[in-house]
Parts: sequence; C-alpha cells; structure tokens
Amino acid sequence: MTDETTSAFRRMKDLPSTHLLGTGTPMCSGCGGLQALHEIYDILGEKTVFVNAAGCMTLLSVYPFTPFRGSWLYTAMASAPAGAQGVRDALDILLEKKRIPPEDDLDVVVLTGDGSAYGMGLSATSGAMERDLDFLYICYDNEGYGNTGQQYSGATPHAAKTATSKGAHGFAGYKKDLFSIWAAHKPAYVATVIGSEPLDLARKIEKAKSMKGPRMIIALAPCPPGWDYDPKDSVEIGKLAVKSGVWPLKEYVDGEVVHTKLPHPRIPIEEYLQKQGRFAHLFTPRRDEALLAQLQAKVDAYWEGIE
Amino acid sequence: MYRIRFHGRGGQGMKTASRILGTAFFLEGFEVQDAPRYGAERRGAPIFAYVRAARQPINERGIIQRPDLVIVADDSLVPVPAAGVLGGLTANTLLLINSHDPAETWTERLRCRSPIIILPITGEVEDRAEMPYIGATCAGAAARLVGVISREALAAAIREELVALGPDIIERNLDKALAAFDTMQAHAGAVSEAAEVLASSYTPPDWINLPFEDARRSAPVIHAGLTSVEVKTGLWRTLRPVIDYERCVHCWWVCSSFCPDGAIAVTDEKLPVIDYDHCKGCMICVAQCPPHAIEAVPEHEAQQQEASDKQGVGK
Amino acid sequence: MSRRLLTGNAAAAWAARLARVDYIPAFPITPQTEIIESLANWIDNGEMAGRLVTLESEHSMLTAAGAAAATGVRVYSATSSQGLLYGMEMLYNVAGWRTPFVLTNVSRGLSAPITLEADHNDILAARDSGCLQIHCATCQEVLDSTLMAYRLAEDERVRLPVIVNMDGFYLSFTREPVLIPAASDVDAFLPPFDPENIAFRASAPASQAVAVLGGSPYSYFRYEMHLAAMQALEVYEEIATKFAEKFGRRHDAVEAYHCEDAEIVLVMMGSFATKARAAVDQLRAAGQAVGLLRPRLLRPFPAAHLQRLLAGKQGVVVIDQNLSMGKGGVLHAELASVLYGRKDAPPILTSFIGGLGGRDITAEEFFEMVKVTREAVASGNTPPPRLLYNRDELREVHKLQAIAHVEREELGKGGDKP
Repeated sequence: MTDETTSAFRRMKDLPSTHLLGTGTPMCSGCGGLQALHEIYDILGEKTVFVNAAGCMTLLSVYPFTPFRGSWLYTAMASAPAGAQGVRDALDILLEKKRIPPEDDLDVVVLTGDGSAYGMGLSATSGAMERDLDFLYICYDNEGYGNTGQQYSGATPHAAKTATSKGAHGFAGYKKDLFSIWAAHKPAYVATVIGSEPLDLARKIEKAKSMKGPRMIIALAPCPPGWDYDPKDSVEIGKLAVKSGVWPLKEYVDGEVVHTKLPHPRIPIEEYLQKQGRFAHLFTPRRDEALLAQLQAKVDAYWEGIE
Repeated sequence: MYRIRFHGRGGQGMKTASRILGTAFFLEGFEVQDAPRYGAERRGAPIFAYVRAARQPINERGIIQRPDLVIVADDSLVPVPAAGVLGGLTANTLLLINSHDPAETWTERLRCRSPIIILPITGEVEDRAEMPYIGATCAGAAARLVGVISREALAAAIREELVALGPDIIERNLDKALAAFDTMQAHAGAVSEAAEVLASSYTPPDWINLPFEDARRSAPVIHAGLTSVEVKTGLWRTLRPVIDYERCVHCWWVCSSFCPDGAIAVTDEKLPVIDYDHCKGCMICVAQCPPHAIEAVPEHEAQQQEASDKQGVGK
Repeated sequence: MSRRLLTGNAAAAWAARLARVDYIPAFPITPQTEIIESLANWIDNGEMAGRLVTLESEHSMLTAAGAAAATGVRVYSATSSQGLLYGMEMLYNVAGWRTPFVLTNVSRGLSAPITLEADHNDILAARDSGCLQIHCATCQEVLDSTLMAYRLAEDERVRLPVIVNMDGFYLSFTREPVLIPAASDVDAFLPPFDPENIAFRASAPASQAVAVLGGSPYSYFRYEMHLAAMQALEVYEEIATKFAEKFGRRHDAVEAYHCEDAEIVLVMMGSFATKARAAVDQLRAAGQAVGLLRPRLLRPFPAAHLQRLLAGKQGVVVIDQNLSMGKGGVLHAELASVLYGRKDAPPILTSFIGGLGGRDITAEEFFEMVKVTREAVASGNTPPPRLLYNRDELREVHKLQAIAHVEREELGKGGDKP
C-alpha cells in the first residue's frame, strides 16, 4: 500500500506549489483529465517524453504550441504503447552506445483516453506489458469517446446517456474492468487515481516514478460537456465518485490489490448520479427506481468483503 | 445571396442558431446552406457558424469571407483575434452585438465603418444555465434583421430544430427568440445582400511557388517547451474568479492543485495568485475554496472595474 | 567482399547488418520471415550489434520504427502484403514525422482471396504515403538498394522513410550469386546516422508530429513532404554515382535496356522485368528494334527520365503486375500522365495486366504483346487493356468451380465449355 510515512506527500501541504504543465491548452474549461494530468506532471517532472494516442489530449500540442516542458510524440489511436517501445528502446540504445549522456535520458509516458485504452489500443498495451516495457501509462478516462462528442466507449458506465445511447435507459453495456485486465498481465504497478484526490494521486505517481517496468494509471476524468454538468462541479463530482464507491481508489503491486482510500461511510450512488445530466433520465420525469437499485447493487457487490 | 456569420463560444448554441435561421429561411422558400466550424478549442472557446440563403441554388461553399450580417453572441469575443469576428467586414456588413454597451461605444472602440446594432443583454450573462438559449436569441434577432422571415417561420424553425429537447425547452427558446425578433422591429430588413465577385474585374491571387525547405525546418516539430502560454485562454472566460485576500487562509494547495489549467500560482509567501491571461473561468476554485474567499465576478464587470482602476491610477 | 548464393531475403538481412542498424522492430509474415530470423540469429550470436524487438502487429511495428527513428537511431524493418496494409495508417504517419528509416517490403498479392505469391498491389497501396519506393529486380539489387536507401532517407534534403521492394518467392526465396561488400567499404559509403535535430533529449525538448489547425499550415507541411520527395530524385542520382564509384555497380532511377534505337519499348517493374529483358534479347535476335525500361524508383516518380527515354518511340508496352479495380494498371496510368501533351510522346501506349498473384509471364507472351503493339502503331488504334490469361487457365478454374459446387447451369453458358 502507498506508504503515508515514507511518502514525501503526507499532507495536502506537501503537494507541489509550482506547476509544471503550461497554461494555454485547448482543453475544455473544467476538464477533469487536464486536472489529473497537471497534478501528475508536477510529480513526474519535465524529464519526460509523452507518447500520445488520438483523443482529446492530442490537441495539447497544436503547432506551434505545447504545454510540456519536456517532449511529446503523437502516434495514432491504436499504438501509443508501441511508440513508447520505440522511444524507450532507442534511448536505451543511445545510452548503451554512449551516444547521449545519462542525464539526457527521459521517462517515457503514454497518454491516452479511454477510447484507446479500453478498446483500440488494448492490444498494443498488452504487448508492451508482456515485453515488460519500462514506461508509465496514463489513461484519462472520461467514459466515452469525448473528443468526438461523447459517444459510448468500452469505459462508459451502465445507463449513461451518450451521443450514441440516447434511449430511455441510456447505455445498455457495462464499464469494462480495465484495472483487472491490466493487473492480469502482472505489470509492476497499476493504480486508479482522480484529480479531485490530489494527495492519493501524488503518492501513487511518486511510487510509480520510483519503479521500473510497466506502470499503469487510470485517472477518472470528470468531463463537463460529456457528462453534462457545469464546469465548476468537476471536483465535487470527482469526490462523489470516490465517496459513493463508484471509483475505487486502489493499486496493484506484487500480485496484491490494495484500496488506498475506503469510502467510509459510503454515500448512495444517486448523490453522484444526480449531479450529471447524462444520468438525468434516472430522476426525471420520474425516478427509475429499478435502475437506480441495480446501479447501487452493482457498487455494493464490488465493496462486499472489502469494507 | 444572404451571407450570415454567427460568432460565439462553444456551449452558447451557435450551431443551433445557424440551423434555426437556416430552417427559417428554408421555410420561407429559400435555398439554404448552414454549417458550424470548429477549431481545436472546446466549451468556452470561440467558434463560429454560418448561413447562406438565396432564391437561386447556392454554389458557394465553406467559410464566408465577406458577410452581410455578423452576429456576435458574446461581446467579449470581439477583440479576440482568434475569433475572427471582424474578418471581411465592409461598410455593407451589419454587425449585431449582444452587449451591455451601446452601439456608439462599439463604433468608437472598433473604429468601424460597419453599421452596428446592439442586442441588449437580458438576464444574467453569468448564469451559465442560460448559455444554451443565447443561440435561439441570436437567431431570432437575425431573422428580423434580414427582413424576409416571418415570426411564424421563425417559430416553426425552432420547433423543428429543437424537437429532441422536449416541449419545455422549446417554449423557453421560443420566448427568447421571439422576444429578440420583436426587439429588432425597428431594424427589420436592415441587412442588404452584397455584390458578387466579378470575373471581369477581380484582384488576382498572390500565388507563389512554395519554396523547398529542408526537414530541419519543415517537419511538424516544436523545438521548445511551454510555448502554449502564448495562447491567452483567459479570453474564454465569462466569469472571473477574484480572490479576497482578507478571507484567504493560505491553504493554497486547494485552489492551486484543483485548477485544471494550472493557472493558479503560489507565491513565496504561500499566497495563491490567479493568472487571468489563462484562467478559463471554470470556477472550480470558487466552488472548492474552503473559506469561500474566491468570488465569481462577471467578466465584463471585472473589466470595467479594471479600466476605471487604471484611469484612477492615471489621475 | 565475397560472392555467395543468397536469397533476396538474405540479401536484405545482409544489407541491414552492413548498414549497422541500431534497432529492428519486427513482426513475422510470409514470405518475409527469413529476414528477421537471420537478423535475430546474428544478434543472438553476437555477429551483429543491434536490438530486435517483436511487436504485436505491423501497426505497432511501424509505430515503434518511426518512434525510434524520431529518437535518433538507425532503424530497419521488414514486412509484406497484409502486414503492410495493417500498418498503412502508420506508414502515412511516420512519413509525416519526417523520420528516416528503411523498410523492406516483400511483395505478395493481397487478400481476398488470400494468396502467398507475388504481385505489386501491396506496395502500390503505399504509393501516396510519403514513403519513397525502390523496386528491385535481382537479389544483388536488394542488397545494394537497401544501402542506398539509408543514404537517401537520411539525407537532410529528403528525410523520409524509404521502402525497398522485392517480389515474394521470385526474389525472397530465390538464391542468386550476390556480392557482399566489405564492411569497411560500406562504412565509407554509409556514415553513421547523424539525427541532427531529430531527437528526444532531456536537454532539448521537442514535440514531434503535432496537430495543425487549418488548411494553410497543413498544405505547407504536406507540400514540403512532396518537395522533399521530388528533391530525392536529384539526391538519388548523387547516391547512385557514389555507389557506382565505390562498388562498381550503377543503379539508375530507371534501368534502360537497348532503348536508344528501339521503336517499341516494354515498361515494367520488379523481378519479372528480367524476363522482359530476355524477351528483348530474343526480339533483337529476330531483328526487331525493341527495348526495355524498368523504373527502379516509383516515388519519386522519375518522370523526366521516362519522358526522355521514351521520346520519339513508336509504341510503348506497359505491363502492370497490379490491378486498380475499375481502372486498370497503375503504372500505365502513371506513365500516361507524364507523357500526355508532349510533342515527342509515343502515340501508342498499350496496357497489359500480368503476373497477378505470381502468375507467370512467358516469353511468347512478351513477343505477342510487342506484336499487338506494333499492329496498333500501324493502325493508329490502341487496343483495350488485356489481362494475360489463357483458355486453359479458365478451363482449370471452371474445374475448380465444379468441385466448389458453383451453379453448373451458369457455368454451362458461354463459349468456354471444356
């Protein structure tokens, strides 16, 4: 478990007070993904090269503007981890042949949305983990193909309305358990984070940074336009996701899954749902008691035996 | 041909505005083209949409270079170069600005040959729940200005375009749009169709032979960090968070960590300072500040205050 | 230097070894596998420095290739047919990154129906990707072209990936005598890769392959790729001269065989062009003024060479080992586009499709194509394009269809009953 006694981040006060990611990005106002990324970047630092897949954050670097102090490479939607492989291998070759000094080395970081991570990019991610690639993977999960207008993806939760699930009951499928899929590969590290819990996030990134091998991070990314809420509520919704148990904060190390923040007492899921337009059909014109009960039962089942 | 351009911010319903106006023209028997145009930016960022309408089939396509009518849903966009509000304006172009300020102020401010009409802002511009209705309001005003669209056609267009949103939202949009239509009564038919570009007398394009530049220069590579700070995303803001340092208890880590854009810096004295050049005005800091020391101020008020403070300093 | 019997695959592997490539992202596909197996073995045995990593697909393989090149190492990779198409998105991408590396494509007909034998539809699908293309006719050329390709790709005036193409089976698995140059000679011809400003370094941040907004910057970046590809014609000539000085073999952008006094000229690419060469010998022996042109470069397209070499000819026979459905032969269309409107252009340009999926082209067929073209020259009427296909072949297909339980009554119709 993330160790509160050895971490440099014991209290909120210990969080970085200087921010490394540049301002002026074209991400939406109130973007939960950008929030998580800037918190992560503060810990990772500028000796990084981000390898990006198609998604909202492709537009972080639009010629000639970049918010990164370090480097960046855009690949394609399906193959960012393969791009990380090429960059890591090339850096290792250059170091081994002494064509660059050790201080010119970089940490290789994959950055993708859930559309890539849960779907098209999963094969490349699996391959990178199987090859024990030394890299960090950050998935900003806004639970849909956000960059194209929030169609449902493999990460969309049951019952959510999206641009392709506008029916009375929302999305018929269930959110894929990417954490477990990743953990089944037995990589060095897997963790869930969220920008609204910056201390938990900082400890996990600090820990990931200290390790070698594949280190996999999923950040739930509240999305004002995609989830349909006012941008000011991004943090509150993020906190409710944790308090309601919808977004368990956890990590996988050495075959063990440990929850880093137990929602205690766990609040009803509807407090989380009713803040978001994408779940409005559960409450108006009348409460969909059956569906609400089903969603609650799903969360309860997850936490049974953990709490 | 009527060539009409709507300027607004992502989330203000400019695409809807163009579609309502397009359908209204269509219902009046016009040939129509309407389309939104997006950049990389998102909610809050400048976007535009356009409508062409003519009695003949329309062959023109794409961006409207020389508009007959420009509608600005959000007056804070006017001075933003990236928004391109003033692009292609001629003495023939009518400029409709949704604003608190009078037309004379804008004419002076812009040193503009184009006639300017003000669509007075009603209701609270800072109420973001009102944002989606701005589009219908603008469409209603535009419909009256062109002078060839009836009140009935406008109402029918709104019902048709917003059918998926349900009767309550349609009614609210109708109220807003028809009120704007009525407000513009004095200017009905003020828009005139510009002359076409003539093949017999035109300015030839200034073509060049694109010079070869080697890949050190012509690869799509940025050889520096942090260049994004050149982009003043503070222009997206309609609300401004203002810190009351009397009430601030110096828990800088809350607002500064949560600001998605990293636009809240922390001084050596552990005071949070907001970078207004880049704050997009999401108001997360306002919502999360434990002692409620950050206030949301409408951007236009804050700018007026700033201007008068400056004058005060000057005196 | 040694002269040995090598397959085209082995020749490609030798070239990568002699080029001292740093990095080989790989994925196996028939008929390319011998290349990566050879390289893997040499690396395992310590005979070759370099790192080979097998990715999980060609799409990932090409991503890793471009990413490693973008970090500043010398990269080699190889694929074929379906693999090239699976990686197609990345071919366009990595070319746009302006990262130099060399990719061998072992040509093989595309699915469906699936086949293992050669034709050029795979490599021609990459025609507009921004990757340059060198087409080989012999195993020696595979080795030589690969070395030349590194200089071409890495030249600061070009900086684009280069694909070296060889035909599956006819070169890939066919052994021929190949001169393997001495490593020291290759080192003198091909200096170590200087990535200049293509790099990710802590001391020099770079954002590569970023998005652009709007048609103007996009047009600029894309057209500069085109201008770089056009520059590659001149750069290639320089490299061919240097190569000839060093190794005594000259590989022009277009191989011209008995063209000077030819009335009729055959035009084709790839290994079957050597069959055309043999046919030219026979036709010459029969007193006919016939020649052969073989473009080695397809991108950039050596338009000026072809225009010059074909000026004043009576007729041109274009043999396409590919087929663009609904149009016809790709090389025929390319050639027509550079000859059209020129006063000295040959009046007759005939089109033949042959060798699809490795189908043989016989000497008699070459002779006949020349005869048909001569008749067209005499009559002034260009015949319609023709697939090289015999009555016996159709009869055999019909037998297969009978076994496949295709509707027999339908088969009975028409004039090709056995």
